[in-house]
Amino acid sequence: MSAQRAENAEHADGVEGPTDSEAPLLDVRGLRTEFRTEGDPVVASNGVSFSLDRGETMGLVGESGAGKSVTARSIMRLIDTPGEITGGEVVFDGEDLLEKSEKQMRDIRGNRIAMIPQDPMSSLNPVMTVGEQIIETIRRHQDVSKSEARELAIESMDDVGIPDAAERIDDYPHEFSGGMRQRVLVAIGFSCEPDLIIADEPTTALDVTTQAKILDLLNEMQERENTAVLMITHNLGVVAQTCDHVGVMYAGNLVETAELEDLFERPRHPYTRALIDSIPEVDSEYDELPTLDGAMPDLSDLPSGCNFAPRCPHATEACRTGGDPALESVGDSTSRAACIHAEDLDLSESTAVEAGSGRREIDRSGEPLFEVRNLKKYFSAGDGVLGNVRLSWDGGGLPSVERRYVKAVDDVSFDIYPGETVGLVGESGCGKSTVARTVLRLLEPTDGEVYFEGEPIHDLGSGAIRSLRREMQIIFQDPHSSLNPRKPVGRIIGRAMERHDIATGEEKRERVGELLERVGLSAEAASKYPHEFSGGQQQRVAIAHALAVEPKLIVCDEPVSALDVSVQAQILNLLNEIQAETDISYLFISHNIGVVRHICDRVAVMYLGKIAEFGRIGDVFSAPFHPYTESLLSAVPHANPNRKTDRILLEGSVPSPIDPPSGCPFQTRCPKKIGEVCETDVPELEDVGDDDHRISCHLSIEEMSERDSFIRAERQSAETVESD
Amino acid sequence: MYNYVIRRVGFMAVTLFLVTLIAFAVTNILPGNVALVILGPNATEESLAALQAQLGLNRPLYVQYFDWVLGLLQGDMGQSLRFGEPVAALIAERLPRSLLLAVTATLIAVALSIPLGVYAAVNQNEAPDLTASMFAFVGISMPIFLWGLVFILIFAVWFNLFPTGGYVSPTEDLVGSLHRLVLPASAMGFALTAYIMRMTRSSMLEVLSAEYIKLARAKGMSQRVVVLRHALKNAVIPVITVIAFQFSYAFGGVVVLEEVFFWPGIGRLTLTAIQSRDIPLIQGCIIVVALIYMISNFAADLLYAYFDPRIRYGGEE
Ligand SMILES: Nc1ncnc2c1ncn2[C@@H]1O[C@H](COP(=O)(O)OP(=O)(O)O)[C@@H](O)[C@H]1O
Ligand code: SF4
Ligand code: SF4
Ligand SMILES: [Mg+2]
Repeated sequence: MSAQRAENAEHADGVEGPTDSEAPLLDVRGLRTEFRTEGDPVVASNGVSFSLDRGETMGLVGESGAGKSVTARSIMRLIDTPGEITGGEVVFDGEDLLEKSEKQMRDIRGNRIAMIPQDPMSSLNPVMTVGEQIIETIRRHQDVSKSEARELAIESMDDVGIPDAAERIDDYPHEFSGGMRQRVLVAIGFSCEPDLIIADEPTTALDVTTQAKILDLLNEMQERENTAVLMITHNLGVVAQTCDHVGVMYAGNLVETAELEDLFERPRHPYTRALIDSIPEVDSEYDELPTLDGAMPDLSDLPSGCNFAPRCPHATEACRTGGDPALESVGDSTSRAACIHAEDLDLSESTAVEAGSGRREIDRSGEPLFEVRNLKKYFSAGDGVLGNVRLSWDGGGLPSVERRYVKAVDDVSFDIYPGETVGLVGESGCGKSTVARTVLRLLEPTDGEVYFEGEPIHDLGSGAIRSLRREMQIIFQDPHSSLNPRKPVGRIIGRAMERHDIATGEEKRERVGELLERVGLSAEAASKYPHEFSGGQQQRVAIAHALAVEPKLIVCDEPVSALDVSVQAQILNLLNEIQAETDISYLFISHNIGVVRHICDRVAVMYLGKIAEFGRIGDVFSAPFHPYTESLLSAVPHANPNRKTDRILLEGSVPSPIDPPSGCPFQTRCPKKIGEVCETDVPELEDVGDDDHRISCHLSIEEMSERDSFIRAERQSAETVESD
Repeated sequence: MYNYVIRRVGFMAVTLFLVTLIAFAVTNILPGNVALVILGPNATEESLAALQAQLGLNRPLYVQYFDWVLGLLQGDMGQSLRFGEPVAALIAERLPRSLLLAVTATLIAVALSIPLGVYAAVNQNEAPDLTASMFAFVGISMPIFLWGLVFILIFAVWFNLFPTGGYVSPTEDLVGSLHRLVLPASAMGFALTAYIMRMTRSSMLEVLSAEYIKLARAKGMSQRVVVLRHALKNAVIPVITVIAFQFSYAFGGVVVLEEVFFWPGIGRLTLTAIQSRDIPLIQGCIIVVALIYMISNFAADLLYAYFDPRIRYGGEE
């Protein structure tokens, strides 16, 4: 990636590229898009101006609702009613797209400007084969025969690294994994060799490992075709790894534009600083994440001064009264910022306080609060007449009967001490959520033991379980699922108190109010209905609901995954504060390694239903590593453009848990695989240090600490990719 | 898929068994004595008893039931008390007429409702949509026989375009037959249109807001391609179930509508059978209508699977 940037920097210096011309490829000037709903019009894109050269990548970042997607869709003139582009120019290759007829626009869409959407699961038409969907794009814009288009489609699938493209072209989307579908979407995007790709959160729905591959793929395709990319994302790590320059959006405005390095080294707008600081980085320790308090204002009800003033730590009286500042150059830098104090503010220092040893010491001398031993959860696979039994005729002669299971959780053990947070990380489908549900007996375990304060949960009858629920609560990724939409939240929380005889009547009402205030809402919020809250606020309500019964353990299943970084930081801090006050324990599930690093004391890295590595954060996140942990860590995009990443790209995808590989579950993708021993012998989860740091791998501790071999392995795999 | 079909067929067999039980139980609980119906109110105790014995009605109920089911399995539904003919023959004669009516009505409904539903969805909240929605509302609120009467009033009485009722076999007189088919089939078709249209519209609206539709537009596809190729194929999947359901409903509606249009199908046969306490005939009619109902729903599921590749190849990966 850095090579790519260097190259572009040369272009910017006037070195003529093959298709370079003086004017930028895309020049957006004062673009304004409004949505006319019942109340005041919402201006989702308010006088946005920026430009993009050929072959260049520009990032567009900001919290959800800032207007990123509307801006991008406006460029393609894909705004649906009640939206309307009411002003500005979108000059693309010298022509204003806003002047074009709808028919002319259709010739441009997919052909000269293409879109790569966010969600690989819902962006492909389920009743058309992937081939049909690529071919129709090609035939729409190129004068080729059916069979030529098919050849081109196969070629484009090859280009994006879909194995056996010629066979898979007639498959339907549901027959592909998420990562492969995203590749199909990339193939569609590049199929007509566009000049500009608009990628709207192209990796947000993906696991880090898949994300790393897709980002590399995008970069490679872009380099090959000299395509310009407008990369919309809320992940500053992705921006740091891919973009040449960046635009930051807030409440429909572009509030800062800057070259990538400048943006991270010397942000000019307080909002940019706050965004950068609220990301929990994988390799730093903080006591508390600096947060952006509050939320973005409602676009139909903007403050009279600077839009950011209500949340800005540097706001002055002038900010609140002077109208919204325009985007202007700051000093003699190339950055532009919409802040009246931009010239005077020095925002180059992070406000995040690194606290090397700020982590609380957990007393693990006594009995654990919660203990899981050899937990197994198998789901029956298949839905035939015979249920999960399958007749197989493989051996010839009499058919043999075979029972098939999805081994979602296969022999997992860990414990949690009072006041401790234990994390479960791993790619989607590795069994994290199933562990969460099984330990709480929301699912029946297939085998194994679970103890809560010495009580055998796995043995309890349903009545006893119900009373234990008071001690153990769960919070989900989607707070909707636990909040009854037809009841005001005060009633929901109060009901939980009544059910477990905690409080009734006036006392209950009082405590509901206190709890709501505790989670950062007001006591008056009790009379509101769940849908009246934003996503982050709903998660706060869900936390208040869980806290209502004064539990000792809360299982948090991806509680911040659906939230913006700023809101995510607020929720993480809240969970930490509550823990410091009440000594509550958390089982914290996340696929976001930075988040786990920030909030957990110990962590289990899961792969295919098993624990690959377990230990204290400091131990797991430093050598010796399990090869899988190492590759996960290497795939995280750092929000720091100067960091060299040597990503370890894993081959293939996670194998099916119905037919897990023999020996070590990771052996089909392990870059450090020793040889036959990995295929035949299942490695034990063994101690590799003093502090209960355990790794399941046949390698010696020295080999697991070595990094050279990774780089070697990566180089090799890079060579193999090039040679075919 | 194969497993699925087997399972469904097994499921249908069980349902059919339950239907025989219910049909048998209901007809035996029905007030009124068959012998009394046949012999009239002046019959003597002896003659009544003799007839009961002759009809086998004095045997224990479970013996009667097994006898009947055994007969059913061999295609023998017994003798009609009222007509003195085999029930199977009576049904075989009437059923095709009712099917003709119901199928034609369903075809009319599909031909009208799907384009209308699509049109309404594409022009959401504009005049055509609002008109269609209003029409749908009226259509759903009105019972089928009322549609029949309205149609008779307008097209037969006022404009004198079609006969008010009656049936002619298409093998004897094709034109005359179609002439008589138009009114009842359209009346029923209209009644069904409203519901299918509403379903098509809402299904289409949902699909039109899907991400893959946005992507299709972003690929430069024209409105026509987006609507017909990308959206309709998805939107129609849930509508298929509704159509099958409506077909079954049509079959129920036939009972009344046939009365309105003097259409000698299975509906009128059932009414006659009930009025004359003709137990074997009632039972036969119930079984046949239930069978049709089940088969149309089964067909819907197969079609559903055919249209939805996720089910077609689903199950194990
Ligand atoms: N109810 C279920 N029936 C069958 N398989 C299931 C069920 N729930 C989860 N699985 C399977 O179990 C595995 C682990 O899933 P999950 O616990 O959701 O993983 P994660 O939380 O890491 O995303 C997956 O392969 C998933 O398909
Ligand atoms: S103008 Fe004032 S309130 Fe707005 S960002 Fe700058 S310092 Fe903050
Ligand atoms: S046991 Fe072998 S395959 Fe498994 S992680 Fe270790 S080296 Fe890799
Ligand atoms: Mg999960």
